Amino acid sequence: MKYIRRLAAIWAAKAAIILGKLMGKKSSSSPGIVALKIYPDILKDLSSKVKKEIIVVCGTNGKTTTNNMLYSLLAANHFRVVCNHVGANMLEGIVTAFIQSADFWGGLEADYACLEVDEASTVKVFEHFTPSKIVITNLFRDQLDRYGEIDITIKLLEKALAKAPNAELILNGDDPLTARFGWNSSRKCYFYGVAQDVNIALNETKEGRFCTFCGESLKYNYYHYSQLGDYLCPSCGFKRPDLDFRAINVHLANNLQFEIEHDGSITSLNVSYKGFYNIYNILASFSTAVLLGVSSDSMNKVFEQYKPQIGRMETFDLGKPVILNLSKNPAGFNQAISAVLQDKRTKDIMIVINDNAQDGRDISWIWDVDFERLLAPDIKSYIASGIRKDDVALRLKYAEIDTKLFTTETDIKKAIIDLVNRNGDVCYILVNYTALFNTQSILKKLEKSKEWRMENAKL
Amino acid sequence: MQSYKMTIGHLYPDLLNLYGDRGNIIALQKRCAWRGIDAQVKEFKLNDDIDFSSLDIVFLGGGSDREQLLVCNRLKEIKNDIHTFVDNGGVLVAICGGYQLLGHYYKLKNETIEGLSVLDIYTEMGDKRLIGNVVIECNFTGNPFYVVGFENHGGRTYINGHTPLGTIKYGYGNNGEDALEGVIYKNVIGTYLHGPLFPKNPALTDHILAMALKKAYPDSFDQLQPLDDSLENNAREYMIKRLL
Repeated sequence: MKYIRRLAAIWAAKAAIILGKLMGKKSSSSPGIVALKIYPDILKDLSSKVKKEIIVVCGTNGKTTTNNMLYSLLAANHFRVVCNHVGANMLEGIVTAFIQSADFWGGLEADYACLEVDEASTVKVFEHFTPSKIVITNLFRDQLDRYGEIDITIKLLEKALAKAPNAELILNGDDPLTARFGWNSSRKCYFYGVAQDVNIALNETKEGRFCTFCGESLKYNYYHYSQLGDYLCPSCGFKRPDLDFRAINVHLANNLQFEIEHDGSITSLNVSYKGFYNIYNILASFSTAVLLGVSSDSMNKVFEQYKPQIGRMETFDLGKPVILNLSKNPAGFNQAISAVLQDKRTKDIMIVINDNAQDGRDISWIWDVDFERLLAPDIKSYIASGIRKDDVALRLKYAEIDTKLFTTETDIKKAIIDLVNRNGDVCYILVNYTALFNTQSILKKLEKSKEWRMENAKL
Repeated sequence: MQSYKMTIGHLYPDLLNLYGDRGNIIALQKRCAWRGIDAQVKEFKLNDDIDFSSLDIVFLGGGSDREQLLVCNRLKEIKNDIHTFVDNGGVLVAICGGYQLLGHYYKLKNETIEGLSVLDIYTEMGDKRLIGNVVIECNFTGNPFYVVGFENHGGRTYINGHTPLGTIKYGYGNNGEDALEGVIYKNVIGTYLHGPLFPKNPALTDHILAMALKKAYPDSFDQLQPLDDSLENNAREYMIKRLL
C-alpha cells in the first residue's frame, strides 16, 4: 500500500513538473504539494536513500549561490547530487527537488543532497530528515513582516538545530549573529571568514552590532559590511572564533582574487564575477566541500565556470550591457550599490520594488539602504518601477537626487526600453524578489528580438 | 526673514532602528533644509548624557525585544528629565517600541516591563502579531487628513482617556479592537506606524515641525513655507487607493 502511494505521489508530482514546464514556470513548489498530499512520508522515504550525506544551507543572503556552488563542486567530482537549484526552499520545493532526481519507480541514486532551506522552514523540514552538515551564511534583516525581528529568526534556527543535535555546523565566523550558534557549542563547528581588513566598510545600519549573549556593543578590529568583521565583546568575551577557513590576500580591483588558507595549505582563487559577498559564498561552499573530502586542487576551475544564478549580476546585451541584480534587503542592496559604484562607466539605473507576499509586504527597509551613495556623477539617470515605484521615487528624492533625473514607470518592459535608450555606457537594474523572474524574462526576450531598438519597439 | 534653527535628538539609533525609521529622521531634516531651516540631528548612545533643554524634537524608535529592554532600563534613569521636557511642551515622537515605553507598563506572558508613565496608556502582549498596511484619519488640526503606514507589533495598547492620533480606516492600530491608532497628547505623538511614517505623510511631518518651531520661536514663527509634495502625495495616495 505504502509502495503504491509512493508511486502515485511520484507520478503525480512528475506530471505536475512536466505540466509546469509546459506552462513556462520557473521554480515550483506545487509538485511537492501534490506529492505530500498523496504520501506525506515521501520526503522521509526519498531522503533516506541518499548514500552519503545531506547538507542544508540556510542564512539570509547567499544561500542559493552557496548551495549551487557546493552542488557544482560535488558534481565536478562525479557525485550524484540532489539539489534545489532554483531556490524553491520551503518544504514543498525540497520535495520537488527529490522527486526530480527520483526515477519513475521511486528509486533514487544519489550520493549527496545539498539543499537550501528557508530559515523559517527549517523546523518543519527537519521533521522529514536530519542533515549531517548545516551551513549558515549570515543573518540580516529580511522580509521582516514574515518573521518579525531577527531575534525570531535566531530562535527558529536554534529550535531547528536542536532537532539535528549531531549535525556539524559550518558557520560564517565574521557574522556574530551566525557564529553565535557555534560559540561554546559541544558539537563540531567550523568557521570561515575574511581574515584581513579590505577597507570597504560603509556607514549603514548594522544589525547585530551588539553582543547577542550579553547586549554589550561589540568592538571591531575591522568590519567588512553590515555586522560582518572581526569583533569582540568587551563584556562577556564573545569574539570572532578562530577561523578554520581564512580568506587572505584579497584583491577586488578587477576579478575576485584571493587565497583560502586551511589546515596549513593555501588554495588560490581567481574568478571573473564581482561582488565582495561572493567571497563568502565561495568560502562557504569551499569549506563544506573540503569537509566532505573533496580535493581543493580543481576547485578554482569549478568556481570560475560557475554561472551565477539568474539575476545575480547577470548581464544581457541590449545594444549595451544591461546588468540585472537581485537586491532584496538592505545588506544585499548596499552590496549591489557598491558593485554599481565600482563600475566606472557612465550608467543609467533602474530600481524595481514590489511588495508581494514573497517580497515582504513592508518595504520600509528601502530607507535603510544608502541610496545617498547613488548620487554619483557617472550615474546619469534613474527609473523607478515595480508596484511600489512611488516609494522608490520618494526615497530617491530624500537622497537629494535631482528629481529631474528620475522618472517612474509601472510597466517594466516600457521602463527597460526607455532605460537602454538613454546615454549611459551601461545599465543596471536592481530588483527585489518577485520582480526578478518577470524582469529577467523580459530582458531575455528583448535581447533576442532586438525590440529594444526604438524603431522596433511595439509598445 | 529670521533664520530658524532646530535640533533633533535621535535617541539610541544604534539600538532602536527597526523598519526604516531612519527615514523619519531624514524626512524631518530634509524638510527643514529645503525651507532654509538649519536642522541638526544629534544621535545619542545609551549612556550619553542628554540635555533635553537643548532639543526641539526628541525621536524614539522601536527595536527588538532585547534592545528595547536595554533602552527601557536607561530611560527609567532619566525619567524625570523626560517628564520635564514633555511638561514644558517639548516635542516627542515615539514609534512602536518607543510608544509602548511611554505608557505605564507592557505586560508580557511572564513579566511586566514598567514604562515611563508619560502617557496614561498601557500595553499587553497579544496572541499574534498585528502586521500590515495601515490607513488612519487624523483630525487633530481641524482639517482631517489621511496618514498611511505599516504596523508590526505584538502588543495591544489601550489609551484610556487620551486623544488618538487617528482613527483606523484600514489595519489594526493600537489593539485591533477599538479602531484607534496612536496618541496625541500635548506635543507628544506616539504611534505604531512605521513605513517610515514621515516621508509619505508630509502633513503630519510638517505639523510636528511647526509644533517645534512654535515652541522655539513663539513670537516670530507663524507657519511653514509650503513645499512641492507631489512625490510624497503620489506615494501616499497610491496606498490609500489600493487599501480603501
